[in-house]
Amino acid sequence: MLRQYEALLLTVPEITGDEVKHLETQIDKIIKAGSGSVVSFERWGKYRLAYEINKNDYGVFFLTRFELPETKSTVTDLKALFKVKFNNVVMRDMVSALDPKRPLTYQRPRSLEEAPAREAEFSKDNKMNSFFPMDDKDEADED
Amino acid sequence: MTKKIKLKISARLVKKRSRRGNGNRSKMCRFCSDKEQVHGIDYKNATFLKGFLTERGKILPSRISGACARHQRVISQEIRKSRVMALLPYSGPAF
Repeated sequence: MLRQYEALLLTVPEITGDEVKHLETQIDKIIKAGSGSVVSFERWGKYRLAYEINKNDYGVFFLTRFELPETKSTVTDLKALFKVKFNNVVMRDMVSALDPKRPLTYQRPRSLEEAPAREAEFSKDNKMNSFFPMDDKDEADED
Repeated sequence: MTKKIKLKISARLVKKRSRRGNGNRSKMCRFCSDKEQVHGIDYKNATFLKGFLTERGKILPSRISGACARHQRVISQEIRKSRVMALLPYSGPAF
């Protein structure tokens, strides 16, 4: 009987496209070896981390979902892959079995890339003019 | 005259009545009443779980979050999972 799993990976922010492809193929290879199949491989995007990991303030999340037969020990192989082979790329990994009763849709926090540019502008524009009316004073002096 | 009778209801009694009403409402766990919301409790859904943390990153007790024991357990487990992935803080910013 097949069981559904998902793995959430936290990688270094400066991960390259080639490294992502390599990671994806390696995951695919291990799961195929365990007579399972990869359902999806998604890139969440760049996030600001809640705390510093390996002196990184930012990280890129990837979520992959796959099916595996229950009896195989492929999950441990997969964890070993992240911990050993991709040691300097994958900072954190979490492999968990999915509840079959739960819907497969999920919500995730909004990444930095998706955040509207307006928010970034807002902090720039909001220079607290009302609290420090420097400009107004200058004008008054000119008059 | 009728107005005077209405005024005679003491402030203490009004308070007592309102308190009783509030007490009954808060006893319902929001996750027990709405099964759809239970799916929102997920370690990936950090924006939702953030509502169950204090400013310093501590998990809110069930008496404040309003969750029953069963769902409070789910919340705290998912928060702890989320912390491992650095989606939520172990401790908030120091003052």
